[in-house]
Amino acid sequence: MTCSCATHTEKKDVGMPQEALVLEAKMMTATEKHFTLKLRDGSKFEYEPGQIVEAGLFGYGEIPLGLSSSPTQEDSFELVVRKVGKVSSALLKLEKGDSMYIRGPLGHGFPMEELRNSDVLIVAGGIGLCPTRSLIRYICDRREEFKKFTLFFGARSPKEQLFTDDLANWRCSMDVTYDETVDKGDDSWKGNVGVITTLFAKHPDLSPETKVIVCGPPIMYKFVIRELDKIGIPHENVFVDLERRMKCGMGKCGHCQINDKYTCKDGPVFRFSEIENLPEAI
Amino acid sequence: MPTYHLSETELSSWVNAIMATQPVIGPVAKKSRFVFDRLEDSADLRLDYDTTILPPKKAFFPPKQDLLHFDASGVRGAIKPESKVLFGVHPYDIKAIHMLDVLFAEGHPDHAYLANREATTIIGSSVQNHYQHAFFGTASPSVPVQGHDAFLTKIPDGYTLDILSEKGRKLIEGQNFKPASAEQTAASEKVNEDAKANCPEKLTYTSEEIKAKLKASWDSPLWEEASQDCFSCGSCNTTCSTCYCFDVQDTWNIDQKSGKRYRRWDACMTTEFAEVSVQGGTENFRETKAARYRHRMMRKAAYLNDKLGGPACVGCGRCSGACTADIANPVNFIDKLMKS
Ligand code: SF4
Ligand code: SF4
Ligand code: FES
Repeated sequence: MTCSCATHTEKKDVGMPQEALVLEAKMMTATEKHFTLKLRDGSKFEYEPGQIVEAGLFGYGEIPLGLSSSPTQEDSFELVVRKVGKVSSALLKLEKGDSMYIRGPLGHGFPMEELRNSDVLIVAGGIGLCPTRSLIRYICDRREEFKKFTLFFGARSPKEQLFTDDLANWRCSMDVTYDETVDKGDDSWKGNVGVITTLFAKHPDLSPETKVIVCGPPIMYKFVIRELDKIGIPHENVFVDLERRMKCGMGKCGHCQINDKYTCKDGPVFRFSEIENLPEAI
Repeated sequence: MPTYHLSETELSSWVNAIMATQPVIGPVAKKSRFVFDRLEDSADLRLDYDTTILPPKKAFFPPKQDLLHFDASGVRGAIKPESKVLFGVHPYDIKAIHMLDVLFAEGHPDHAYLANREATTIIGSSVQNHYQHAFFGTASPSVPVQGHDAFLTKIPDGYTLDILSEKGRKLIEGQNFKPASAEQTAASEKVNEDAKANCPEKLTYTSEEIKAKLKASWDSPLWEEASQDCFSCGSCNTTCSTCYCFDVQDTWNIDQKSGKRYRRWDACMTTEFAEVSVQGGTENFRETKAARYRHRMMRKAAYLNDKLGGPACVGCGRCSGACTADIANPVNFIDKLMKS
């Protein structure tokens, strides 16, 4: 996928971390923390929905994170850190007023030109909502540029739902047809129970022309693609957001490689038809 | 650009002259083998070396390199290029260095590499003795030997010296070398052609044939078979002239207030290379020895061909010699693959 947006053509030295101020920090679940940030030097952090940053702290290291906010949001940007290892645990300790160091934006985000003037379906599973939220918010902010907009979100349980304020908004929003499910409900849960693919039957009006974004745990892709095949959506119109171990974020160190592609540079968003035959992709 | 003729004595006085102005890294003996090291004495230079244990890329892409320094006052880039001369690089290693130049410069340029590389002047030298596993005569033939600044060829009556760049020209300023005669130039061309033809090992297929076969063999049982005895030690990576994967780590200084971010060579043949932390454990995108072995071969002979104009293996043979399990030799594997 090639792109000629300003973010990719300008030569910013993404090898040098920039200091970002934590404006707000909130635990979203037991293991996920939501950060709102801005650059300390006062400049605007320019990016496209779906792009990533390497976020870190000196002395600990860096981890790749998808931007969770939309670039339409003027004076801040957002990231979600999930506690998995040494670096994320250190980042999780940050509070309002602290600094986080970021490099980026890196990679290729969602194909905005192709999504404009199209029906868009986003299928997000679990923390797959974090990077796709940048696109969801973008579409809601520039609603007139897109046609029918549908969003499916699946979580393991109601407690593991992320961005609950957003979810509450989307449930009653006119901008998006939102539907959700959990693998396992609890006493208070009144919604759909089952894997994310069970939502497709409830939306028979999805057209074969829909452009689809899929982001979630690896196991999810195969089953979602099967549903899209039933609707007749060609794989050229399906985009997946992939996760790999990353180090340099600059297409050099080799850690994020999927066959001959680099997640950090060619992705993280890939056209499904371009990677479905790469044995290492999914 | 001009070609000169040097006698043995002229060569050593020239090396001494360069050493007086900047560090010279060249092949020197180490036990029964050779290494690229900083010359203390021009007499230590062993232009008759067969190959070195590690490739010369370490002169500007060291096994460990600081990227950033940090302390309470902030963070600074740690790039401090030092002018130096890399002396006596064989043609296959020159080719490999050029490949790294291309890969580190494309896309987001890697300043830590490029600054060091820019500060380095490279003087090549002809192969006088072959390493037992060398097959550079038939490896990546479409990629020219390029990017160096001068080239020295041992001929029966001394050396010819080709000056190939401005950096190279600067190094001979003040020297009174005589131009090489037509016979001397012809002799040096023959030496370099013969060195290619006399490699002890040979690839007998074209790069295109190999690439096509590799791509068609993703599910071949050969990967499993070939990698059975692999120790996942990564020696075939770290000794490779064209491998450039690295890991990035942070560490604190003793004061626990300042520290550095550095990179170090990494190896895709090791178990953890493609491992990610996920909640509750790890996930490995190349879990088996076979998958890693396949990835290495693909990177050497298929994945990077378009960017480089040919396969990313220059036939130095270091991996073949470094592998305790004796399975890393590209010639042997490719022969087996092509016949499968
Ligand atoms: S192929 Fe040989 S050198 Fe390479 S990792 Fe395996 S045992 Fe080590
Ligand atoms: S793969 Fe082996 S022969 Fe080829 S360049 Fe690397 S070390 Fe040399
Ligand atoms: S993270 Fe280093 S190549 Fe992609």
